[in-house]
Amino acid sequence: MTDQATNVAAASSEAPAAPRRSRIRRAWDWYLEGHPVIVTGLAIFLGLVIGGIVIILTTPSVLHAWSNFFSDPWNAIKVSFDSVGAAYRAMFTGSIVDPSAFWHAVTTGQGWTGGSSVLTPMSETLTYATPLVIASIGVGIGFQTGVFNIGANGQAIMGGILGTYVGSMIHVPMAIHLPLTLLAGILGGILAGLIPGFLKAYTGAHEVIVTIMLNYVIVYFLTFVLLSTALEAPGSADGVSRTLDTSAQLPAIFGASSGLRVNYGLVVAIVVVIFAKWFLERSTMGFDFRVTGANPRAARTAGINNKLILILCFVVSGGLAGLAGVTQVSGVNHYIDTNFLVGSAGIGFTAITVSLLGQNKPIGIVWGSLLFAALSVGGRQMQAQTGIPYDLATVIQAVVVLLVASPVLIKEVFRLRGAKTSGIQLATKGWSS
Amino acid sequence: MELVSIITPAASDVTDVPSGNLTQAVPDTRTRVIGIIEIVLGLFIALVFGLGCGSAPKSTLSFDPVNLTGTIPWHLSPVTVPTALTNIILGAVVALVGVFILVKSPKRGVMVFFGFGAVLFFFAVLLWAARTPGPSYIGFLNLTAVLVGGASIAMVLIFGSLSGILCERSGVVNIAIEGQFIGGALLGAVIASVTGNFFYAAIGGIVLGGLLGLLLAFLALRYQSDQIIVGVVIVTMMSGLSSYLNLQVLSPYPQYNVGNQAPLVAIPGLAKIPILGPVFFNENAFFYVMILLVITVSVGLFRTRWGLRVRAVGEHPKAAEAVGISVVRTRYRNVVMGGAVAGLGGVAFISLHGQFQPGITSGYGYIALAAMIFGRWRPSGAVAASIIFGLSVYLANNLQTWNIPIGTEILQMFPYIITIAVVSGLIGRVRAPAADGIPYKRD
Amino acid sequence: MHLELRGVTKRFGSLVANRNINLNVEPGTIHCLLGENGAGKSTLMNVLFGLLHPDEGEILIDGKPVVINNSGEAVRMGIGMVHQHFMLVPVFTVAENVVLGFEPTRAGFLNHAEADASIRKASEQYGLAVDPHAVVEELSVGLQQRVEILKALNHNAELLILDEPTAVLTPQEIEGLFEIMRNLKAAGKSILFITHKLKEVKAVADMITVIRLGEVVGEATPDMTEQELASMMVGRDVNLTVTKAPKVPGEPMLSVRDLVVLDDRGLPVVNGVSLDVHAGEIVALAGVQGNGQTEFVEALTGLRPALRGTVTLNGHDITNHSPRQILNAGLGHVPEDRQADGLVLSMSVQDNLVLNTPRVAPFARRGTRNLKSVRANAEERVRDFDIRTTSVDAPTSSLSGGNQQKVIVARELSRPLSLLIAAQPTRGLDVGSIEYVHKRIVQERDENRAVLIVSSELDEVLALGDRVAVMFHGQITGIVDPSVGREIIGLLMTGSQISDDSTVTVPANATTTTSSENPSEDPS
Repeated sequence: MTDQATNVAAASSEAPAAPRRSRIRRAWDWYLEGHPVIVTGLAIFLGLVIGGIVIILTTPSVLHAWSNFFSDPWNAIKVSFDSVGAAYRAMFTGSIVDPSAFWHAVTTGQGWTGGSSVLTPMSETLTYATPLVIASIGVGIGFQTGVFNIGANGQAIMGGILGTYVGSMIHVPMAIHLPLTLLAGILGGILAGLIPGFLKAYTGAHEVIVTIMLNYVIVYFLTFVLLSTALEAPGSADGVSRTLDTSAQLPAIFGASSGLRVNYGLVVAIVVVIFAKWFLERSTMGFDFRVTGANPRAARTAGINNKLILILCFVVSGGLAGLAGVTQVSGVNHYIDTNFLVGSAGIGFTAITVSLLGQNKPIGIVWGSLLFAALSVGGRQMQAQTGIPYDLATVIQAVVVLLVASPVLIKEVFRLRGAKTSGIQLATKGWSS
Repeated sequence: MELVSIITPAASDVTDVPSGNLTQAVPDTRTRVIGIIEIVLGLFIALVFGLGCGSAPKSTLSFDPVNLTGTIPWHLSPVTVPTALTNIILGAVVALVGVFILVKSPKRGVMVFFGFGAVLFFFAVLLWAARTPGPSYIGFLNLTAVLVGGASIAMVLIFGSLSGILCERSGVVNIAIEGQFIGGALLGAVIASVTGNFFYAAIGGIVLGGLLGLLLAFLALRYQSDQIIVGVVIVTMMSGLSSYLNLQVLSPYPQYNVGNQAPLVAIPGLAKIPILGPVFFNENAFFYVMILLVITVSVGLFRTRWGLRVRAVGEHPKAAEAVGISVVRTRYRNVVMGGAVAGLGGVAFISLHGQFQPGITSGYGYIALAAMIFGRWRPSGAVAASIIFGLSVYLANNLQTWNIPIGTEILQMFPYIITIAVVSGLIGRVRAPAADGIPYKRD
Repeated sequence: MHLELRGVTKRFGSLVANRNINLNVEPGTIHCLLGENGAGKSTLMNVLFGLLHPDEGEILIDGKPVVINNSGEAVRMGIGMVHQHFMLVPVFTVAENVVLGFEPTRAGFLNHAEADASIRKASEQYGLAVDPHAVVEELSVGLQQRVEILKALNHNAELLILDEPTAVLTPQEIEGLFEIMRNLKAAGKSILFITHKLKEVKAVADMITVIRLGEVVGEATPDMTEQELASMMVGRDVNLTVTKAPKVPGEPMLSVRDLVVLDDRGLPVVNGVSLDVHAGEIVALAGVQGNGQTEFVEALTGLRPALRGTVTLNGHDITNHSPRQILNAGLGHVPEDRQADGLVLSMSVQDNLVLNTPRVAPFARRGTRNLKSVRANAEERVRDFDIRTTSVDAPTSSLSGGNQQKVIVARELSRPLSLLIAAQPTRGLDVGSIEYVHKRIVQERDENRAVLIVSSELDEVLALGDRVAVMFHGQITGIVDPSVGREIIGLLMTGSQISDDSTVTVPANATTTTSSENPSEDPS
């Protein structure tokens, strides 16, 4: 109530002065209005701050400096800033670019290619982001249809399995083999997605439970396939698959000799983004998806076949997840093992958070994927350089998403007055119906 | 039948109308499905585990406890039975139960029959796996050891599902049980290593779990964030944090993660009962705490004022608010309690395993969630489901080491597939608290 | 209890929902708060019940000013509320619902015996028979309402607020409710009865306060005529009838034969209905809510399967066709619950205007939507149907109820139709919008389309219908000319049958609904 009242008061007193406001003042107002971009930016900032606090609290040398706080307070603060700074610097240079090496490359013309190219960090980030974008768009389309597809990871694994099968067991020229492999991956994702889709459409089973459970089933299925079928590499006993034929691999964009791993999966991802943008914003089917997501009863009354839309949604969402899985195999790994997308490597889970971060919209998802890819890739560099474990990136990602999922919290912390709180209010429904 | 097949698609519409009313018209189909499943299961046991292994092999069952230290107070001679015949009989019993369900179509207790069938199935698998001559390394089957192993996993699952019940009965979905397990296990391991006392570890786990519950409650209740998303992210955060802390702190300082296990506390007298003694009366303190908790939550939810109010809040929050019950406060309290119970469950887990490693809880939190659903949001049901799931997980983990030529992955999938079947209404029908997971707004 | 409100004002932002309300409820009286939808009755009740806090003014109970912070405090002060949407936990028993919040305990455990005893006592005292052990979701609506009243009484309410309590009841149940209200009055309880139905006011009220647009416009007594009360309520002389030229109906457009439809529980809720609607004719389907009208319309529109019988639209069998096929066959549908079924509130006005025609040219071509023509269409509709919105991009949630209904009406009437079905087309609308919607419906009929109106408002049925079909317990009890009058239609609504010579026979079991204690009574 009071907020609204002050809002009204402020608006009326400012209104006549509006044209004369300075540029800074306008920027400040824009900030205060709490545009989603601002909210996300602040969430990332807070996430990094909390990550810094975690570093300070867990690094022995920093804690030691703090234990001498009263004798040498400046040292404690300095050591803290140094370690956090070193960690984040390593994260930045490891995921985007190392400025000094870049300058060196520019001035000397050396170091653009090869194992330690200045472009390697960016290439790695893009490589990591490629399947993530694809999977996240799948999850995002699900969200827009009112479907919470936690099963993207399982679907991606299925995509990987089927893709590996086609990519390593069939031997045909690349022009056929590569598309066939990618299609097999999509098919794998669709198959895994159809289970929750059908169950939700025809029995009302909640997709969250079904897909969580299915993720575990598929992980065990992966182990089974790798230990008990022809897919297992001959002579291997530790669950490693055959390697994809070269004709089934997405080639590196700058050639194998460049040392840069970024591959034509990136092109696949771009095509997916363009498709998704058209699908959600312009296509009639996308319209049906969105109507169903926003109000399933009204959708049904308007003649939309809810059950069909649900199943189609899982086909699209699962297919994209499967494509993400096969892109990972075909572009990067070239084989699968029992750890494929399992545990912390599970891009399907990151995809959920990325999708939320990007407000379930294709372009937003691209930015979200790049950010999370940079955090993950940079995290590895941070671990190599400073010894601070890579998993800090996961923690930061989780904090960012928790904050983005609660935009009101951000607004309260940063005193934004924007009344719009279009956060993530999927309004999940009861479990069993 | 015809009637049922016509109304089912319409009533199980994808809209948000709870289709709970359906139960009245439909039990026949569901019961039938369970009956058929039981018959198929029985035939499978009889044919594959019975006839399939020929008449030569015999299975030996031994009963000597493995965790009673010192002199064994009792000794039961091992029993050797012909594998094929026993399994054919077991299969016949299961199939007969199925026929009974089909013929009698009992209104209640169908899930109990289903559980009974599942337990006999596990037993048949064990007999089959332990047969000699056969592929197994081990020529006998220690039934007591199997039950003790299953009970310890079930204990952890029960903590988790009680946590879920506490939260969801008040209308908040706690999908973060796994995260609370991880937190409790990590902190429990550290405290137990430093103090050598699991009492302090338990306190630590309760506090940390409660704080994680508070975080969920805070975001879900104050900011009405999506509860499932918050839960999933809390799990991600805790699993990341535990890996981080493991590398950053526990690896360089192994003294914080020495791997203490909680001592077993034998209940005088009772612990000496053959088979049951080691399973129920010679466990560590967490097991007894778990039993107390089950009773407390059970009685509390269904016999006390507190429970009535909690259930009212979970079913129809506006009705509760209208008679002056604070929905938000009730939910806060329950979610924090639920978090604390799950945190304690994490400590209980580590009290069995000793050393903490990242990923050590391996999805038990989600199996506990499944047990809660399978148990229809009731403590007694959750206990039964946890026992079944606990046994299946134990078997899956251990058959691998026996060199059994079946994909143990299939057994490992069991709890998850069962849960999918349950939420799809293929076996039984569950009905969540009506307001479960729906953010509450005071107008 | 004596309740007095002095100058109560409640604002929502710049909107004033209640302005300077004065109200005086004497002990032992039935005081009626009369006002049309959106007049601010519900806001006032929420203020009284502690769910909202007044910005100005004070509430006095027995002469002492009080501050009511939440509903719990209201209950403790002796205010009981029977909500329009029952505040009952469906899976709880009657006893559990009644004691909730004020549970008797023994040694920390719930004391069921004491709960049962107190319910039995109240049941006998006020004639509110209901089984304490019955599960609430299995009770009929009328019995559920009794549980609500019992609950309030169990909390020692001295003042009962009944918020639109008759909307969901049969005429007999309404009579039963009035009986209970009189019993309560006799026992010294005060009752604040909120309604917009003039006849009920006249039947039961001792004192009437009329509010309009958030302000008290005056006190009235039950001996005033309906016409006088209505003009007070609406603020001008209201013409309760609709001007409608006589018209000769054409060919039958909709033919329903022996339709049987099941509800969610598998019980036949539409049981052998046959009905024709001709071109250029308005058939009004009357009946108390919950007698199968909703499911009947759902079956016609393809939203619910028909078990038996046929539905023919313009000569084509559409029985159990999909909603889309039926829409394409020329059926326009204004659904009963417009926010849940008719609109996507979060989407824009322009998208809602093509909600069921997104693929139709020129709105799309080969799977790609033509956003320009969608916008052009919206701008035209907004102009033609006088939809008040800031822009066609605004979400429909930002529109008032009347304008939301106009969006639906505009969408449906813009398609080539053979039949328009409008369920409760004016529920919850202000008088201006009601008149507009009525005018449009009559205009459709004048353009020779068949129109089926479903309404539980007898006034609307009488004003619009060229013929009136009355539904009771899933069957049509009679199809009559509206001129037969209120009494006959009212009797049909209670299950009386009409024979060829227009004499009405009242079946012996017609009154059983009110006194029945059997919750699972089969409506067939």
